[in-house]
Amino acid sequence: MAEQPPFQRVLVANRGEIAVRVMRGLRELGIESVAVHSDADEKCAHVLAADHVVALGGNTAAESYLDIDKVLAAAKSAGAQAIHPGYGFLSENSAFVRAVHEAGLVFIGPNADAMDRLGGKKAAREEAVAAGVSVIPGTEQDAGDEKLIEVAKKIGMPVMLKASAGGGGRGMRRVEREEDLAEALAAGRREARDSFGDDRMIVERAVFPARHIEIQFIADSHGHVVSLHERECSVQRRHQKVLEEAPSAVISEELRQQMGAAAIALAKRVGYDNAGTCEFLLDANDEFYFLEVNTRLQVEHPVTELVTGVDLVHLQLQVAAGGKLEELLAGHDLTPRGHSIEARICAESPEQGYIPAAGLLELVREAHGPGIRVDSGVYTGWEVPPFYDSMLAKLIVWAPNRAMACERLSQALGDTAYLGIPTNVDFLRRIVDDEAFRTAAISTDMLSQRPELAAGDSATGNPGAPDDHVLAAAVLCQALARQSGGGGGATSSGSTQGSTAVWQNLNGFRLFEVTR
Amino acid sequence: MKLSREFVRDGETVAVQVESIDGNRFRVRVGDNSYEYDARALADGGVRIQKLGDDSKGSVAYGAGSQQSYMLRVDGKTHTLEAPASRRGGGGGVSDGTVRAPMTGTVLEIMCKPGDMVEADQTLVVVSAMKMEHKLSAGVAGTVQSVATENGATVDQGAELVIVVPAES
Repeated sequence: MAEQPPFQRVLVANRGEIAVRVMRGLRELGIESVAVHSDADEKCAHVLAADHVVALGGNTAAESYLDIDKVLAAAKSAGAQAIHPGYGFLSENSAFVRAVHEAGLVFIGPNADAMDRLGGKKAAREEAVAAGVSVIPGTEQDAGDEKLIEVAKKIGMPVMLKASAGGGGRGMRRVEREEDLAEALAAGRREARDSFGDDRMIVERAVFPARHIEIQFIADSHGHVVSLHERECSVQRRHQKVLEEAPSAVISEELRQQMGAAAIALAKRVGYDNAGTCEFLLDANDEFYFLEVNTRLQVEHPVTELVTGVDLVHLQLQVAAGGKLEELLAGHDLTPRGHSIEARICAESPEQGYIPAAGLLELVREAHGPGIRVDSGVYTGWEVPPFYDSMLAKLIVWAPNRAMACERLSQALGDTAYLGIPTNVDFLRRIVDDEAFRTAAISTDMLSQRPELAAGDSATGNPGAPDDHVLAAAVLCQALARQSGGGGGATSSGSTQGSTAVWQNLNGFRLFEVTR
Repeated sequence: MKLSREFVRDGETVAVQVESIDGNRFRVRVGDNSYEYDARALADGGVRIQKLGDDSKGSVAYGAGSQQSYMLRVDGKTHTLEAPASRRGGGGGVSDGTVRAPMTGTVLEIMCKPGDMVEADQTLVVVSAMKMEHKLSAGVAGTVQSVATENGATVDQGAELVIVVPAES
């Protein structure tokens, strides 16, 4: 970029893969990056990738990445002009946005008023109705357990219980039977309180079977909003996305325009001015219902980038600095090209009820090759802390068509190894290789209806009996690791061999330049 | 160079022995079977292996772990190979009635007390870890002998939370 960078120095108030990805975007625009980190994340990939580093202290999110005062003090001491929040943590906290402005800094995201109007499920729903976007029948506010249960019975089972302040499926539950409502509400409130500090719940009709379709849009501060079209994220487990793709295999150009127009109308109505995502449920009759707006960059933003050719982090920074979309996107054809799929690689065991895992990654081998992008937050020798989300990395592929993208993703997952702790890599590959996924016959309850996809070999009653070749491979690996002194060895204490690869892999790394 | 290991397969102990023939060639004995392999270490921690003599495809294997529990990724699948003596805690193996924390987290709710008769799949403790709730059960029906934690407690991975004495059947 020959142009003047929109900022000189930007703090990234996040961790792991998304912080690394944002910093990559910053560097490409000639902007210096500032990392913040908790004690547990002192050697996290995003700290190694940053130009400047500020320690926040603490271990839990509340003690570190969620502490507004600490993050603002870090920005001040590091001399940052702006803060990029990534996703999660403070990214959708309008009090934080206001505090950033009051500190004289720029927030890379929408203004606080727009965030407030779209942030809570209730507020967003009202705005959607006012913007002429259809919504799912249900309550708009939490009038206590008794009232919620009464409304649920009136709507008819099954219903969805959702955290009013929610996102990412936290606090969300589908309830089939009236007698389960009270217990589900209590559990939902607990999860909502833990995740958002707000235990209010709402109830809605459950739309099934449904596909999850969302529209990525970008708005500038001059009243322009552009749709970057849809992503389909129908493959979910417990309301958390597992695989995401763009474009959707079932969206006609007409429907794409309609959904895009709905998202744009909503964004314009609230004076939105950065990247956002409008989520919809699509039923079997091509009717779409507004779900919520995510007022931030999404985990799955790369699939949109790969099919439209835009860099969403660049655009976020440029519009935050006052840039005009009609200039930034001038001459850019935004028509989706080819097909992209993302797989979220998490430290968890789908085979054992999705129990998350923490611990030492003894060996990391990420896929590479034509049409393969890995947004990673880990490396060989990194010890995954137990305090945060279990996502390690995202494997994203692009190919000229969906069939080839599926095959490319399957092969890339096969080439992927994160060893030392359980991961969902085999599970992801089982889904990608499944006939239903290959034919795009997917819905939001696919995984709950097909438990064998999570269970894997253990479903056959013969938990992965290794053949001779596998046993031979294991002992050959151990023998050669001994011989060469390289990685892959069997040690009793846990090997950190090969961890120096990070010094070669993370470009632009500076020795810890602690600014505080 | 010679290396011997034992693994459990289908409940049976299988002895595996690797012996260097020359250069990159190895004799591998798995139980009563004998194979010849070409194997070479790669700089990224992997090992390229190819079974010789039967037109098998070559593949790159990645392994890590201990002698007791070795995690191997080969031909696009992950295998966790256990040595005979090892007995995994937590989720794996036959349940001994002890409910352990699957990972470091916070105890949200204890749903049993000493003396309770419980079912194998009954939720005894709810633990929050990595922002998700986990309902833990004993895996065996029986009587709760002791509860070693309290609501709100922070527990380490593997910590014993509840001990259930299995019912005689």
